[in-house]
Amino acid sequence: MPHQLTRALRALVGDGGLITEPSRLIAYESDGLVAYRYLPRAVVLPTDTDQAAAVLARLHRDRIPFVPRGAGTGLSGGALATGEAVLVSTSRMNRIVALDPIARVARVQAGVVNADLSAAALPYGLQYAPDPSSQAACTLGGNVAENSGGPHCLKYGVTSRWVTGLTFVLPNGRVLELGGWGRDAPGYDLVGVVVGSEGCFGLVTEIEVRLTPIPEGVRTLLAIFDDLEAAGTAVTGIIASGLLPCALEIIDAETIRAVEASVFAAGYPTDAGAALVVEMDGTDAGLDAEADHAEACCRAAGASEVRRARSERERLTLWKGRKKAFGAMGRIAPDMLVQDATVPRTRLPNVLHQVGEIGRTYGLRIANVFHGGDGNLHPIILFDRRDPDEVARVDLASREIMRACVAAGGTITGEHGVGIDKREYMELVFSPTELQLMAAVEAVFDPLGLCNPEKVLPAGWRGSLPKRADQDRVRERGASVANPADPVAGLEGLLPHDRVRIGDAAAPWSAWGGSPPPVVLPRATEEAVAVILRANAEGWRVALAGSGTWLGSLDSGSPPDLVLSTAHMDRVLEYEPGDLTMTVEAGMRLSALDHRLARNRQWWPLDPPGRRRTLGAVVSTGVSGPTGAAWGGPRDLALGLSAVTGDGRAFRAGGRVVKNVAGFDLVRLLVGSCGTLAFVGDVTLRLFPRPAMDRTLVVRGACLEQLREAVSVAASHRVTPTAVELLECSRSNGHSREAILGVRLVGSAERVREERRLMREVLLGVDAGVVDELATRATEEFWREVRLLEEETDLALRLSAPREQTSKLIEAARSVGQMRDGRNALVGLPVSLAMSGGASALRVAVRDLCVESGAAEHWAEHLTGLRRTLAHYGGSLTVVRAPTGILRRLHKLAPPGPMGELMTGLKAVFDPAGILPAIHVPVDLPARNGGGLAKT
Amino acid sequence: MSLAEKAPTHLEGGPRPGDALKFEVDKLLTCVHCGFCLPACPTYRLLGDENDSPRGRLHLMRAVAEGRLDPATPAFQLHLDRCLGCRACETVCPSGVRYGELLEVARDEVARAGGMRWSVRAMLGLFARPAATRAAMAVARAVRATGLPALMARLLPSWRWMAGLRLASGMLAASARWPGLRETGRHLEESGEDTVAPLGRGHVLERASGGGTDGSADAPSERVGLFLGCVQQGLFGHVNEATARVLTVNDLRTMDVPGQVCCGALHVHGGDLETARALARANVDAFTAAGAEMVIVNAAGCGAVMKEYDLLLEHDPVYAERARAFAASVRDLSEVLAGRGLCRGAPLSLTITTDAPCHLLHAQGVAQTPAKMLDAVPGLRVVMLRGAEECCGGAGIYGVTHPDLGGQIGADKVAAVIATDADVVVTPNPGCVMQIGAGLATERVRTRTLQPVEILDESYRQAGRYQ
Ligand SMILES: Cc1cc2nc3c(=O)[nH]c(=O)nc-3n(C[C@H](O)[C@H](O)[C@H](O)COP(=O)(O)OP(=O)(O)OC[C@H]3O[C@@H](n4cnc5c(N)ncnc54)[C@H](O)[C@@H]3O)c2cc1C
Ligand code: SF4
Ligand code: SF4
Ligand code: SF4
Repeated sequence: MPHQLTRALRALVGDGGLITEPSRLIAYESDGLVAYRYLPRAVVLPTDTDQAAAVLARLHRDRIPFVPRGAGTGLSGGALATGEAVLVSTSRMNRIVALDPIARVARVQAGVVNADLSAAALPYGLQYAPDPSSQAACTLGGNVAENSGGPHCLKYGVTSRWVTGLTFVLPNGRVLELGGWGRDAPGYDLVGVVVGSEGCFGLVTEIEVRLTPIPEGVRTLLAIFDDLEAAGTAVTGIIASGLLPCALEIIDAETIRAVEASVFAAGYPTDAGAALVVEMDGTDAGLDAEADHAEACCRAAGASEVRRARSERERLTLWKGRKKAFGAMGRIAPDMLVQDATVPRTRLPNVLHQVGEIGRTYGLRIANVFHGGDGNLHPIILFDRRDPDEVARVDLASREIMRACVAAGGTITGEHGVGIDKREYMELVFSPTELQLMAAVEAVFDPLGLCNPEKVLPAGWRGSLPKRADQDRVRERGASVANPADPVAGLEGLLPHDRVRIGDAAAPWSAWGGSPPPVVLPRATEEAVAVILRANAEGWRVALAGSGTWLGSLDSGSPPDLVLSTAHMDRVLEYEPGDLTMTVEAGMRLSALDHRLARNRQWWPLDPPGRRRTLGAVVSTGVSGPTGAAWGGPRDLALGLSAVTGDGRAFRAGGRVVKNVAGFDLVRLLVGSCGTLAFVGDVTLRLFPRPAMDRTLVVRGACLEQLREAVSVAASHRVTPTAVELLECSRSNGHSREAILGVRLVGSAERVREERRLMREVLLGVDAGVVDELATRATEEFWREVRLLEEETDLALRLSAPREQTSKLIEAARSVGQMRDGRNALVGLPVSLAMSGGASALRVAVRDLCVESGAAEHWAEHLTGLRRTLAHYGGSLTVVRAPTGILRRLHKLAPPGPMGELMTGLKAVFDPAGILPAIHVPVDLPARNGGGLAKT
Repeated sequence: MSLAEKAPTHLEGGPRPGDALKFEVDKLLTCVHCGFCLPACPTYRLLGDENDSPRGRLHLMRAVAEGRLDPATPAFQLHLDRCLGCRACETVCPSGVRYGELLEVARDEVARAGGMRWSVRAMLGLFARPAATRAAMAVARAVRATGLPALMARLLPSWRWMAGLRLASGMLAASARWPGLRETGRHLEESGEDTVAPLGRGHVLERASGGGTDGSADAPSERVGLFLGCVQQGLFGHVNEATARVLTVNDLRTMDVPGQVCCGALHVHGGDLETARALARANVDAFTAAGAEMVIVNAAGCGAVMKEYDLLLEHDPVYAERARAFAASVRDLSEVLAGRGLCRGAPLSLTITTDAPCHLLHAQGVAQTPAKMLDAVPGLRVVMLRGAEECCGGAGIYGVTHPDLGGQIGADKVAAVIATDADVVVTPNPGCVMQIGAGLATERVRTRTLQPVEILDESYRQAGRYQ
């Protein structure tokens, strides 16, 4: 390394923070995957964001590549210093910055060890849910980069579900605050995009995560089977019966024998064909019944023996065979390779059979340990690296296993990532278009290709930055050409006539005033591709829509030349109840979906606001509704999708499996992109067993303030209700109000009964008022009202603030309707409010807003003032719907600065000609916009 | 026979650099590079450099074994030197890597390559000569008796060489008997059984590299030899006396074992395997000659190395077999006591907390027994010590060779002890007593550091068991 650079880096991080002697670099030549060795050019150990940013900026100046490294436990070689890179290790960034037990969030430096965070949360009865088997050592930065899962993610989900914000350093050294608790970050979900990017987009330096209560009770069973198929049948039976265990782990015969022969002997019968560990957790009441139920399922599938843990000690013993499997296997052969792939769960028996065949073909011993609930396999191939022939066979067998998994509808990695090890398998799963898109997205973050070179994408795919979208040019043309070529005429011959609606027939989609633009209703994705290609050729601007209920509500521009709606694409493309997944076309309405799923006693637990909601729209807007806190949002519950870019390239993102970390995640980029990036044709959903009982308790009060405490005790209670929502509606005179708090509890009958009792107790404890239980009809009515709060309103906002600032939040919400008009007269408009869960976010709706000329100016000023006030207290204000006149003054194209550049860059990747609506963000979006949780 | 005569001749000329590690390459290969040991390692946590982590050190050793790295490289020496030898990494390793053994071999390489510091060399030389050790200890006791060290530990400032002197003073002062212990009786009516239930195999750590021996195994009531140790006997003679008394009450009479010498732990850890082997042979001979069937050790550091004499003398054609038998007969005092139905003593009014010496917990794989033996003392209030399983930074002569690092690691331990607000912190290892005691003294807190057997002994005394 040049002397000057060494000196500069040393000045930044001090003597102990820089390693350059070759003899001391040896320790860094491998990570958890020892098959490769790359000696780094140097190792830098910054202690905080500022140091890290300065280091990256300095390296950028000399165009020197770097690789982020956490604990180096990764199993795909992601942290190897390929391309003669400098390693930037987070080992000195191991401080827990803040932990708020009430809001259940923590902010940590990226080098904090996963288990240390849970240990810090333990005294508050909380935990950090994702639990990779390496949790004792791996860092949260590594978890974020790999989007790690663990045995318990069947119920709790993987890392992306728990990460709410990031401090992120771009490869050029610029620092961005992404997301942040209690904030609706405007624009694309960059947190979602960075999670799972395998350290290729930049360096994560701080992470904000949600914590979850440690479940009150846990029940663990171990069932012994004669063969693997029977164990698989038991898993299917358990899931079909409506149980949602937190873990379903299968251990095969080979592994059982290895474990029993080691010091970890757990007392499993050595002649068993397979063992299944089933674990359930939650409120104690009802758990025993669930365990009985699971036991019955195992016995029905032919279990020869079922053991139940009666103490924590016994529980650990039952788990031992699973947890110690790798350690035990490692010692029956000199080397082992832990493979990782995912298949739809119902295909497991078949794929396992094939894996066995592959082992026999290549004369290799392969043992299997896997997450049975989500189809994530870990074949362990045993070998001796001193035998080159055997090593070659291991390679061939690995490739065949990957092929088999992909052929079964699965993917090449469920949790270990692609890294350097699986780059060449990427072409098995992704089309050239998809690889191209990923490369282009990567280039938006890292245009010079300096960050983690030679990883993830196969050689030759790392693309160059595509041309910037010239949206202004498109807009100008739209405005200046008086009569752009008539789209209806232009579509002639492209599609059957019944696909196009004009005039009154197009009115339901019209949101712009004046005569409605023509609406095209394709019946299949191919037809949408044709329309988009034509639009590109003709220079039409296209708006994407579902039912059209929200169209234009966020678009401050002029009307598009045509609307492309999914309303006629509503088929179920694939549904395998046993896999808990379903692929449906984007025009499917949520109500129809729910109806269809009810037949199989399953559900998709989201209930976002709005009416006639189509799935495509839900995914596009990314809004989750009251159940989001408990179940995750669309970004967690959409596993994959197929889409068409703004320039007509069809592609698939994600897949049909619950755990999938192959390639960069385009699903999370499209979720919440509001139709600015691509037309979504179909969506694969993650389903859950439909709860047997669904009850809502309500408390009534005079106003929001009166029930404020009740909301937070309900939401922060250990039982974690499925939804907690406080609704306040004003009478039209603006003076009398009524507030109502709803707490929704779902689950088995026993559990709901117990939770209902607990919930009543805490609500009475804060003197909230009379606690009622709603009848079925009234329940539906209440949640409908919550859902339709913004419906038929003129102005809808989302306000948020950190928990400590709830009073400021409410104050701000109240003042929305209080505005001085041009003549300085006080306008008092009735507002309706809804507060979700943790009391940190409020939805505000104003009806009957008459915006005559001049008033729009005042409203915009009024709202901007409120936004500033909230920002001052660490909160935000997002406009969900407003009259165009106001919107135009509040929104602008993505601003200059790194954040805006990222957003316009991403937009240009998908929609280079800018035929889709532009991305709008609030006018006063600050350069660093993050962070709900105070930093210390 | 003098020690010099016991020195081997078969290694004349010595192997070439890296050879010893090459020999151990199979043991090195058991490390699968999973990284689980990183957070367990005090030096890695403090420095964040993987060269100062177990995995990194093993990787360096592997590079030496592969001939890619010269053992004379300063970096190799520096990072091995910084290792505490606490072996916390062994406890968490899922693959059963025998880190302790590999470290000894690697340090031997370093020493051969001429990388041993003169201060270490001098210290090791001292302990290799029984007469010199005894003389040095006598001087130390005389200094301690002046009361000056206790004063200096409290009053000296913390800058430069003063800090070193302060630490040394504190350590010396901490080794003194605590008269206050006699004042702690509560004269409560004794209740319950006369003995406490023995502990089963529960105290043996379950870990891949193997657990401790089972102290509950039938112990002969005669033919028990007590290992005295050099620091233990030189500065903690009162503890050895207490140990003999406590064993007698519990029907184990210890015999005289003349000719026993230093256990060699310091030499093993320092990389002077040859001297360590010589010392080991002397001890094997002494205890065999006395006819001891069980060797009880009350200092965790000594016990750890003595339980591994078999490995140390593995390639010794004459001693290999005898060393195996000897190593198998070594027990930590707490294992023996906790494994028996201990006699109950008189109640003591004390709040105590227990620290686990690395050389008991991680090196011997023995957990819980020191706390368990105190079950025989009614009335004790026991508080948990946060991070009890972490090293105190003493690590033999580490506190002396690496005052900065040792001090920083020790500071965490001292802070944790202070947080308990206990009257006494017990730890069955003289090194730890002195290290923690010195830290507490400089912080001027009242908490005393003792070895657990001292508490049991006082409890028996008050119960009249010695009349
Ligand atoms: C025995 C064993 C069991 C495992 N079990 C599981 C399991 O159950 N589930 C699972 O998902 N994984 C598992 N893993 C894999 C591994 O532990 C995880 O991928 C883990 O998240 C890696 O964390 P790390 O800190 O070690 O990251 P590293 O290995 O150091 O790095 C991994 C990747 O993340 C990037 N990275 C690290 N820190 C940052 C940062 N701050 N900013 C940007 N990029 C960064 C690196 O560049 C690299 O690409 C296991 C590994 C082992 C050895
Ligand atoms: S835990 Fe054991 S196997 Fe893993 S890196 Fe450390 S020493 Fe090697
Ligand atoms: S013995 Fe202790 S200091 Fe040395 S590597 Fe192991 S854990 Fe670290
Ligand atoms: S003597 Fe020892 S190594 Fe042992 S516990 Fe104390 S400092 Fe740690």
